[in-house]
Amino acid sequence: MTEPAAPSAETLAPELATRPPRSQWRDVWDQFKKHRGALVGAVIFVSIFAAVFVGPLFYPHDAQYVPTGRDFIRLRDMRPVYVLLWDPGAKADWSHPLGTDNIGRDALARMMMGGQVSLTVGLAAMALSLLLGTFIGVLAGYFRRLDGPLMRLTDLFLALPLLPLLLVAVLLFREPLKAAFGVEGGIFVLIVTLVGITSWMQTARIVRGDVLALKEREFVLAARSIGTPSRRIVLRHILPNVLSPIMVSATLGIATAIITESALSFLGFGFPPDFPTWGRLLNDSVDRMTLYPERVLWPGLAISITVLAVNYIGDGLRDALDPRIRGR
Amino acid sequence: MLDTAASPAPEASAGAARPLVEVRGLKMYFPIHTGLLRRHTGDVKAVDDVSFDILEGETLGLVGESGCGKSTCGRAVLRLYDITAGSIRLEGREIGQLSQEALRPLRPRMQMVFQDPQASLNPRMTVASIIGEPLVEHTSMSRAERLERIWELMDAVGLNRDFANRYPHEFSGGQRQRIGIARALALNPKFIVCDEPIAALDVSIQAQVVNLLEDLQEQLGLTYLFISHDLSMVRHIADRVAVMYLGRIVELAPRDDLYAEPLHPYAKALLSAVPEPDPKIARAARRIILKGDVPSPANPPKGCNFSTRCPRVMEICRRIDPALTEVAPGRQVACHLYTDASESAEETAPERGESNDTRQQGEEE
Repeated sequence: MTEPAAPSAETLAPELATRPPRSQWRDVWDQFKKHRGALVGAVIFVSIFAAVFVGPLFYPHDAQYVPTGRDFIRLRDMRPVYVLLWDPGAKADWSHPLGTDNIGRDALARMMMGGQVSLTVGLAAMALSLLLGTFIGVLAGYFRRLDGPLMRLTDLFLALPLLPLLLVAVLLFREPLKAAFGVEGGIFVLIVTLVGITSWMQTARIVRGDVLALKEREFVLAARSIGTPSRRIVLRHILPNVLSPIMVSATLGIATAIITESALSFLGFGFPPDFPTWGRLLNDSVDRMTLYPERVLWPGLAISITVLAVNYIGDGLRDALDPRIRGR
Repeated sequence: MLDTAASPAPEASAGAARPLVEVRGLKMYFPIHTGLLRRHTGDVKAVDDVSFDILEGETLGLVGESGCGKSTCGRAVLRLYDITAGSIRLEGREIGQLSQEALRPLRPRMQMVFQDPQASLNPRMTVASIIGEPLVEHTSMSRAERLERIWELMDAVGLNRDFANRYPHEFSGGQRQRIGIARALALNPKFIVCDEPIAALDVSIQAQVVNLLEDLQEQLGLTYLFISHDLSMVRHIADRVAVMYLGRIVELAPRDDLYAEPLHPYAKALLSAVPEPDPKIARAARRIILKGDVPSPANPPKGCNFSTRCPRVMEICRRIDPALTEVAPGRQVACHLYTDASESAEETAPERGESNDTRQQGEEE
């Protein structure tokens, strides 16, 4: 509603009257911009994304290169350059800004490569679990006949011991998937699917609860009296109104996915050992944490900041998508 | 026309207009499931064997205390519920047992205005998309045509065209109700169920909305089923009034007759509650105060539903349920007081019927 300094009401009126409705997405974007946290979160997330995917193109070191011979001794266990600030005698060099690990691989290169995997796994698994959870939640909430069976299914999944299940599934499906999608691709598909289908339950329950309350609201009855079929009632009236809880579980879902992936990698059931992910970097470094705190610090920080940024984006999106908040 | 002439109900012929809506023996029971096995142990008889006609272009008021099944009746007539039993005819077409899918093409003919304008508008949709939803569902208008129609409707209900982009929470109650009315009008319906359209509104806005409804009726030839507990408002807008008690119609009569002299004891009690503006009359008026509570619709009393509270209850009332019968031209009452001594009254009943018929013939000629 930003009109240029208003002329007289008469000249303004006809112009207003013929103005077509604005696109809703413009309003959403306008509101999103106003949410400072969300904007900062978005900037950080985009930078992390860019650094992780574009960075390796400009960075000279290969994440999986292991030096041999004398280089191995020379390059292993280097400290990050900032250690020189308080320990001038430390083994650090500008050619490896974040140091190297215990077999001489560059830490920054591994961080970036690990980030690619972790972010993709996180986003893909979150999207899958969200889709499943929303789908099942809406079906269970809206169609009374499906409520019982679907919710019992949800309870069943909740009651399953997650980790043993994952391990068995990895053992069973790793080889066929490797054959189909290649080593990394197979594991990627496997992990995304596993994390996705084992983490949709919370979303489903939350969505079902909200849908149960929403479908008794009069505007749904009004849509029925117009003759809107159930499918479109769900898409037009129910889904937009359950967006907030979906957003919240989405942002939390990314974190869970990244962490589950790292747990799997830690147990040796995820990606191959020489293939870095943030979770794996973290876990690999835990036993030497006191000597080399940076090896835990950086991957941990990357996971936390990503999760936090996504959380803020979700927060801002939720507000922006709600017209009652948008006006303020 | 032939159908209506053949229909057994005498009230179908109260004038030259043909009934737009005919409801016969409408029952809407909500099942009660109890126990560990969720067995069907009973029913809430929200609407129990209700019959009435609504003539084309008229307004039928439906009044009664809260919980008596008015709203359920209105929604059942529009087939927003799957009714338990009975027949509903809209423009001569039976819709009582049609599937929701088969009803879809008929929806444009009948629409509803809801009680709570806040709750009946999706908070996430703009006014334009709310009013446009029926158009999207039932017409193949282009975006521009639709917008044109939306603006037309907004003009018709007195909303500024510039509000099209706004969301429901930005409006006052009266304006929201106008949005609801515009949505109901979008497809040029013949029949609109107004489910307490003014109950949630400020008194100062009520008159505006009611006048709007009346103007639209005049312009567009609408037929209303006007559900309300506001007896003065019903007196203002309705042509005929049906009084409901515990899921049944106890009296159905032309407005003036009913307000001048209610026949059924419940209707008497209900109408005695209408505030009287003239203090002299008000002081003289005798308020009938009923004792006790409304029985549960899940377990209505044997015999007449009102027998537990009726000030003039008789022995027969507790045994036999009185049927809705015509006691005077156009007036139907379900009470043993008027049909009682039933055996002896049978001689006079046909007489009434005859006089009724002759009166009609006179009118038709």
